[in-house]
Parts: sequence; structure tokens; C-alpha cells
Amino acid sequence: MDPFSSAAIARQTWELENNIVTTTAANDNSAASDAIFYYDGAAQDAFQQEKPWANDPHYFKRVKVSALALLKMVVHARSGGNIEVMGLMQGKTDGDTIIVMDAFALPVEGTETRVNAQADAYEYMVDYSQTNRQAGRLENVVGWYHSHPGYGCWLSGIDVSTQMLNQQYQEPFLAVVIDPTRTVSAGKVEIGAFRTYPDGYKPPDEPVSEYQTIPLNKIEDFGVHCKQYYALDITYFKSSLDCELLDLLWNKYWVNTLSSSPLLGNGDYVAGQISDLAEKLEHAENQLSHSRFGPLIAPAQKKKEEESQLAKITRDSAKITVEQVHGLMSQVIKDILFNTVRQSNRSREESSGPEPMVET
Amino acid sequence: MASSSSSGLTFKLHPLVILNISDHYTRIKAQSQPPPTSSAADDAVSSQPPPRVFGCVIGVQCGRTVEIFNSFELLYDPSTHTLDRAFLEKKQELYKKVFPHFYVLGWYSTGGDAQESDMHIHKALMEINESPVYVLLNPSINHAQKDLPITIYESELHVIDGIPQLIFVQSSYIIETVEAERISVDHVAHLKPSDGSSAATQLAAHLTGIHSAIKMLNSRIRVLHHYLLAMQKGDLPCQNSLLRQVSSLLRRLPAIESEKFQDDFLMEYNDTLLITYLAMFTNCSSTMNEMVDKFNTAYDRHSRRGGRSAFI
Repeated sequence: MDPFSSAAIARQTWELENNIVTTTAANDNSAASDAIFYYDGAAQDAFQQEKPWANDPHYFKRVKVSALALLKMVVHARSGGNIEVMGLMQGKTDGDTIIVMDAFALPVEGTETRVNAQADAYEYMVDYSQTNRQAGRLENVVGWYHSHPGYGCWLSGIDVSTQMLNQQYQEPFLAVVIDPTRTVSAGKVEIGAFRTYPDGYKPPDEPVSEYQTIPLNKIEDFGVHCKQYYALDITYFKSSLDCELLDLLWNKYWVNTLSSSPLLGNGDYVAGQISDLAEKLEHAENQLSHSRFGPLIAPAQKKKEEESQLAKITRDSAKITVEQVHGLMSQVIKDILFNTVRQSNRSREESSGPEPMVET
Repeated sequence: MASSSSSGLTFKLHPLVILNISDHYTRIKAQSQPPPTSSAADDAVSSQPPPRVFGCVIGVQCGRTVEIFNSFELLYDPSTHTLDRAFLEKKQELYKKVFPHFYVLGWYSTGGDAQESDMHIHKALMEINESPVYVLLNPSINHAQKDLPITIYESELHVIDGIPQLIFVQSSYIIETVEAERISVDHVAHLKPSDGSSAATQLAAHLTGIHSAIKMLNSRIRVLHHYLLAMQKGDLPCQNSLLRQVSSLLRRLPAIESEKFQDDFLMEYNDTLLITYLAMFTNCSSTMNEMVDKFNTAYDRHSRRGGRSAFI
């Protein structure tokens, strides 16, 4: 293959843009990459004693999630449907990184008052950890995850208070939120990892996090608490055996990729999004009409807010549209692939010598 | 001892189970061999063969379809070749609380081939499930291999030398995913960027996925094509069963060709176009709104400061 071909250059540009670090799968490196699976109890205990996070609320900056943990969490979150589910994550720490090796589900039904849920689940957690330790999983619980089906990855007021409690008594602890509905509709995993600041701590000016659409009924909850926690970068890792298996797995599930139809599966969600957008639009319109009547009453500030509100609405609508169009693209491609065969044959019979529509 | 096939059951395996087993194996291997502190120690890596791990698979069986959803680890006593029964029941209870629909379907292990001792474990599990399945993962990484190193065995009663014995027979399986599972497996397998915030990268990611899938389809069809050509030329013996399968495959195209489908398809198409239109409209009105505001600010006639405004 010509190393300067446009495809190769495009791929390299893409890799550079997205900071993809390809861990060379050479055999001599496989031992090193699997080293992350080794649990050094003594080192972990020493780290626990030190408590470097006690002085710096912004101590942990990154999260590494194993392939298995991600899969388990996403499957569990999706199996809950529209009900919030939660579970715990097991792992260890490494400098300023929290490493999540595994996750398990808790038998708790998600309701809005989830502060006491962890008390109910303690027995389950103790039992599960004990059995796991016997079976060879030595890591401790290092965080909790729960799902926000359809309304994005952020911490609600109750989540923030739960996490602050956790960070007082169970350090180091991490909060992870997964949105299974948006995962399916957008075609990429929606996940966020957060840590709260202790009460009264004013964070230094931090960069604006990635914008996400929040439904109208939750936007207040989001706005009130969004300054009390910060997001951590998430990267994923897998073992060498996992790599092998996943590569080979592709040979089987490419069929599922082609046959997936996100439009059919997520119809309710999209309808909900559109109606939410309509409500937001009405809201914005009301605000707009108020300020028009009173142009003398400090129009500058209000106008700025509405503008950004209208801009937000535009972004939301663009997002919904993009997802829909992607879904439609898949459908059209499938239609062309599998439905237009007979027509091309027919046209070949009717007129002699046209070029064949199917490539040989 | 493992001859092929089966009792007519179809097996569906979820990727989560595969990753579970692989993780269990990697963990136990890593714990038993502390990581080399320097790269020079790579030569003296493991002298003893990697240990076998054992566990239980759970899922659902509906009629003739056995769907394996999840798995968990079990304790194995190498001296008596038995699995810890109390442990299994405890774990089963825990999993029942979270996944009430699943029940024990069988067990798994790692290794190259099914062994005699495995039959003891299999028989022990028959007390829980009358016909358990045995999932075997071969953890030795073989880059030349094109197929998943996983085999599913069932037990069948065969009469050998006049004595009815249970032996393992291989069964085929298919990989089944839920949409969310597929997306996360894809995500981890190809390590796609998690922040595909711009529409361009999202589109690229989506189309790349479909493109790879279509490439696979194309390559598979090519293989079939070459095979058929070779058969026609006479290089290969004619296999009527294969020809029948290929002919039935071809006759399945076009997939759907009915009025109702066309109507629904076009309706969906129109809905999407409508959404695009509305989004465009929203975008335009928002831009328009901004422009009007800027215009008003620039050419403000009702300035509070009184007197003529400085801008004309």
C-alpha cells in the first residue's frame, strides 16, 4: 500500500486530531499492557494511608475504564429501560488516575429519593465483595454508577449530595453516569465521570464542559448544581486477550451493525425530544415577547440570555436532526443493498448493453 | 471425543460473556505472575502453564433457543475436581436479585480442548440444569486464526463399546447483541474518540462503521463467488447442499418488495426530511433574531440616555 495514499494520510490526521495512542500489540508489550490487571494490595494500602486527595479537591483528573466494566454498565443501564438503575464499580487508584476494573449491579429500584438506596444495598455489596474476593477479584469498591435514561450525563441534586457523603467517608470514590437511551440514538457511548467539590470550595475558573441538551423539566436541577462538581477524562483499556477476541468478534457482529435500525428502536425517545424542544421554544418566545414590551427595562441583559437560549435550541434541534439523518442513511443504504436487485436485472434485460449497476 | 453436532438447540452468545471469561483469565494470570519490573525480565515470563479458570454461565432458554447473557466466577478444587457448591448457590442468589429472569445454563472454562476431568464438573452441574452447556475459551493468542476461539459443547449419551457414556459434542452458536451492547463493544474495539462533538466526526464515525460492515459483506460474497466459479470449472466437487443454500440465499433478494413497505419507507423518509426542514427553520429564525437584535442595538432610536443617539 502506498504510504502516501490519501487514505493513509487521512487516517493519520484523524489519529493525530483525536490523540489516539495505539498501543503496539507486539508480543513483548502484551505483558506490560496486561500489568494493569495485577493488583498490588500493599501499594494500594499505602496509598490509602497517604490520602493525597485530602488536600487537593481537584486531585483525581482521569479515569481508566476497562472494556468489561464499560460493557457491564451499559448493558445493565439499558436493561433498566426508562427506570434509573445503579451499581458499584471496583478498581484501584494509580497516582491521579482512578482505574475501574469491574462493575456490578445493585438490586435497587431507581426513584428520585435515592439517598437511602445505598443503605439497603450494603448487605448485597458486602456479600458480593466477599464472594468476589474468594474468586480472585481483589479490588475494592472505588465508585458507583447510575443511569439517566434519556436526560443526559450530569449529577442531579440528590446525586451531588450522595456523592459528597461518599467522598467524606469512602474515599477514593467516583461517580459515573450513563445514558443508555442517548447511547443507542447517537450511536456512541454517553458516559460521564464526576467528582464533587467539598462544601464551600470555590473552583478556579475551569474550562466549559461539552454542551449537552437537558430536558426542560430537569434543567433547573442541572443549573443549580452544575458548579459543585467537575468532570474527569475517561479513557478505556483492554487486555491483549480482549483485543484478540474483539477483533475476531467483529467477524461475527458486522451483521448486527448492518442490520441495526436506530430509527425504529428509539421512536419514543425522539418524539419526547421534539416535544421538549417545542416547549423550550415556547418558553423562549414568551421571554422574547416580555422584553419587547419593555425595551427600556435593561434590555441588554435579557436579550443576551434569550439569544443564548435560542442558540441552545438551535443546537438541540441540530442534534436531533443529525441523529435522525444518520438513522435514515442506514435505512437507505440497506434498501439500496438489498432491495434494488431485481430492478437492475430488469433494466439490463430491457435495454441491451448498459453498464451493469452492480459492481463485479 | 468432541464430534460435531447436536440436539437441534440454537445457541446465542452475548459478547459480555466472552469479555467476562477473558477478564477472569487475565486477572488470575496476572495475579499469579507479578508483572516484570524491567523489560529485560520479559524472557523469563511464565514457566508454568497458565491456570485454568472456571465459572458459571447464566441466561434464558426459550424453547429451542438458548441465550447466554452473563457469567460469573466459581471456585474450583483441583484435588477433588469439583466446584464449590455452596459458593455457586450464594452467587446464584446474588445474581437472581439483580437479574431475576436469568438462571444457570451451564459452565465455562479456559483451555485448549475439553478434557476428561471436565465431565465430572459437567455431571455435577447436571443436578442444577438437566442439560448444561460447556463453554470453552482458548486463551492462547493465535494471530493466524480467523475464528473466535470459543467452542460450545453439549453432552450426549452415546453407546460406546456397549456402555452408555456421556461425551461432549460440539455445537454451533451465533453472536447476539443488544443495540447498546453492540455500540459499546464497537466503541472499545476501535477506541473511537469519545467526544465526537462536531457533526463531521460523528458522521464520519457512523459511516465508517457501516462501510466496514459492507466491506465484510462484500468479501464474504466474493468468497462464495470464487467458490462457485471453481465448482463450475470443475476444480471442486459439486456439493448440492451448498448449491441449494446459495440459491435460497439469492432468492431472498430483494428483501422486501411490497406496496406497504414502500409507503412506510417513504413516510419515514419524509418525516426525517421534515425534521431537517424544521431544524433549518429554527436555525434561520435564530440567526434572524440575532441580526434584528444587533440592528436594534446599532440603530437605537429610543435610547434612554435621551437626545440623539450617536449612531446613525
